[in-house]
Amino acid sequence: MTHLGPIRAAALALGLTLAVAAGFLGLGGFDPIAAGAAMMRGAFGSSNAILSITMVRSVPLILTGLAVALAFRAGIWNIGAEGQLYAGAVASVWVGLVCDALPWFLLLPLVLGSAALAGALWSAIPALMRVRLGIGEVITTILMNFVGIYLAAFMVVGPLQEARGVFNQTDQIAEAARLPLLMPGTRLHAGFLLALMLGAAMWAMFRWTHIGFEIRAVGVAPNAARIAGMIKGNRVVVITFLASGAIAGLAGGVEVAGVTFALYEGLSPGWGYTAIAVALLGGLHPIAVLGTGLLFGAIEAGAAEMQRTAGIPASWVTAVEALVILSVLAVDQLRRRSHA
Amino acid sequence: MSQVLARLDGIVRRFGRVTALDGADLEVRAGEVHAVLGENGAGKSTLLSILGGLQAADSGTLSLRGASVTLRSPRNAWAHGIGLVHQHFMLVPRLSVLENLALGGQAPSRGWRLPLREIADRATDLMARIGLSVALDAVIEDLSVGDRQRVEILKALLREPSILILDEPTAVLSPPEVEGLSALLRGLARDGRAIILVSHKLDEVLAVSDHVTVLREGRTVLSVPRSEVDASSLTRAMVGVALSPGTRPGGRPASDGEIVASFRAVHTAGPSGHTALAGVSLDLRRGEIVGVAGVEGNGQRELALVLAGRAEPSSGDVDLPHGTGFIPQDRTSEGLALDFDLSENVALAAHRDAEFRSSGLLKWDEIRARAEHLRTEFAVRATDTSVHARTLSGGNQQRLVIGRELPVAKDLLVAHNPTRGLDVAATDFVHRRILCTVGARPEGPAVVLISTDLDEVLALSDRLLVIVRGRLSEVPLGQRTREGVGALMLGSVP
Repeated sequence: MTHLGPIRAAALALGLTLAVAAGFLGLGGFDPIAAGAAMMRGAFGSSNAILSITMVRSVPLILTGLAVALAFRAGIWNIGAEGQLYAGAVASVWVGLVCDALPWFLLLPLVLGSAALAGALWSAIPALMRVRLGIGEVITTILMNFVGIYLAAFMVVGPLQEARGVFNQTDQIAEAARLPLLMPGTRLHAGFLLALMLGAAMWAMFRWTHIGFEIRAVGVAPNAARIAGMIKGNRVVVITFLASGAIAGLAGGVEVAGVTFALYEGLSPGWGYTAIAVALLGGLHPIAVLGTGLLFGAIEAGAAEMQRTAGIPASWVTAVEALVILSVLAVDQLRRRSHA
Repeated sequence: MSQVLARLDGIVRRFGRVTALDGADLEVRAGEVHAVLGENGAGKSTLLSILGGLQAADSGTLSLRGASVTLRSPRNAWAHGIGLVHQHFMLVPRLSVLENLALGGQAPSRGWRLPLREIADRATDLMARIGLSVALDAVIEDLSVGDRQRVEILKALLREPSILILDEPTAVLSPPEVEGLSALLRGLARDGRAIILVSHKLDEVLAVSDHVTVLREGRTVLSVPRSEVDASSLTRAMVGVALSPGTRPGGRPASDGEIVASFRAVHTAGPSGHTALAGVSLDLRRGEIVGVAGVEGNGQRELALVLAGRAEPSSGDVDLPHGTGFIPQDRTSEGLALDFDLSENVALAAHRDAEFRSSGLLKWDEIRARAEHLRTEFAVRATDTSVHARTLSGGNQQRLVIGRELPVAKDLLVAHNPTRGLDVAATDFVHRRILCTVGARPEGPAVVLISTDLDEVLALSDRLLVIVRGRLSEVPLGQRTREGVGALMLGSVP
């Protein structure tokens, strides 16, 4: 097989993606050219599309993507970012509503901190079940997703329902609990900066720090790490699992404090699951995850536009998204094999 | 002269840029035990997997009983009467011996019914003929390693092969078991079969074989009757140069060095199926090499882990030093992280060392410098320190582990099967390094060499212990022979 460099691989992935997506849309009786144009317009068509839609939508994807990448690097199969995100969202709304009298410099950190704490607690259950009872985290994190999703659904019809009691949502959190905008006139909030900084920090941690090296060692070679005397009592596993949950929880808090200002059923369209693709496509590398998070943000932004103007139903859009992921994974695998 | 059963001529096999076989020849006759020798990477396994139908040659010819053939699959090779017994057992642990034999699919099945009765009859018959005995209703996981190997051989023999290939069959056996296997193989050859034995243990090869073929760098460099060679001429043929093995002058006075580690009545709870330590007391002094011989699975792993401070005993007192180097027995899963580069693998051991860290950060420049030093000092064949450990050969991986652990072993070095799977040159390197380390007594560390290779512990140890069912006993000087230690390893009273 001919050697497949990164640029040719990217070109091949793009070509394959376009061909597959066009073929699929054609099969459904839609005009692929119009659909493609709508997609590009929605994602990159204007400064508003880029700043207020693509970048804003990428924030929860980057954050949950980082959460998943962190866990996977340590060999922890945390499939529970969705539930952890909801736990974070519930906690942040609750704190934002209850403590609304506090000044912003206290309230905002409290809102985000409570989101991270709730995410960490949500992941603590599978973490303890793994290290104490030896129960695989794949199952437990998936199950905890359902608990988180339905907990949020219950909250918005129960204890946290808006004062008017009409819609299944909470009241809006106070101004002081909201993330500031990065650019006036857009919807781009400080959560984007937070996500970038977190990615950079994670990269630096893996590269230079002691704990970062331990996490990588435990993920790459658990036996060698144990023999090297690294994980007394599964300390690294527990710490990493909780940190991963905290980041996913933070994603929920950032979404509430930066975009929705309230909690409602179906807040996340499945970011916690898409995060797995974001993380894997980025090779579990924190900086690359920033890029893949943006890419998926663009896909979501473009898909929304496709739905609006090209009249393509949401389910087709979701299917095209999945096909994009499959093409990229296939090309990635080809690239690996051509190196082997 | 007896009939030529198989003949491989000018076999070439390339994997990408690597040439595994570069014109290798092999001629196997009925009624002989034919040993195929060679260093790691000489092409032994590749040559025999071509004969076993697992791989195809790029060029060269294969003829069976004078007729040229092409083998497309292992099934195809079986049909031609060529049987392969793998180095790693291919048995289902939870099934009985008989059920495992049935899995081979040797008996014609009638409809949906599994012909267990017929297979049992044939197996009993065969065992009586060749003088081998295994309980057919025993479950594999309850059997000893030697018994499992007998089952594996029985499974192969049920298909009535005319050529039986055994890949490193003695790697896991105790000396008496090796002798049993040798007798079995000679018997099978007498019946007119050809037995091909792959090994790099010279003594065993010399003891059992009728004909020896030596491969070096993918070519056949020697193919002669057993009577025409001895250990040193075979070593020369394998390595290309003469080596004198590193040994320790025996019968030295007991070390009077400082005691660096001691055990008192140490017990451990091992994983199920393993023998744990059952009351071990031991003092280790600077400058001595203490050999621990024993049949695999008698508590060696637990002993190594507790000595190296990697596991806690369930009871008893241990007093261990700080400067402990540990060479675990499985370098690929326990010694190294294969997907890490050389520097990162050095960091694996150095990461707790104050010298290499400051306030939560690792000093990568210094770790890289250490790795670079080690690469040249220990002759790890890699272009630089950013090469992944996975790409190194077994010998170079072990050099890396040893190079990493020896500088750490200021007080104690625990080495568990440090030369398993290594070729003659790499084994020699490891032995010399271990000897160098203790050489500087009384400042040198104590070395504990836990090994199932009896020749190794006999050659290197100052003091020799035997581990049986989690208990240690000292081998008296008068009993330091293969036979004497072999008897102790099986638990008989001296």
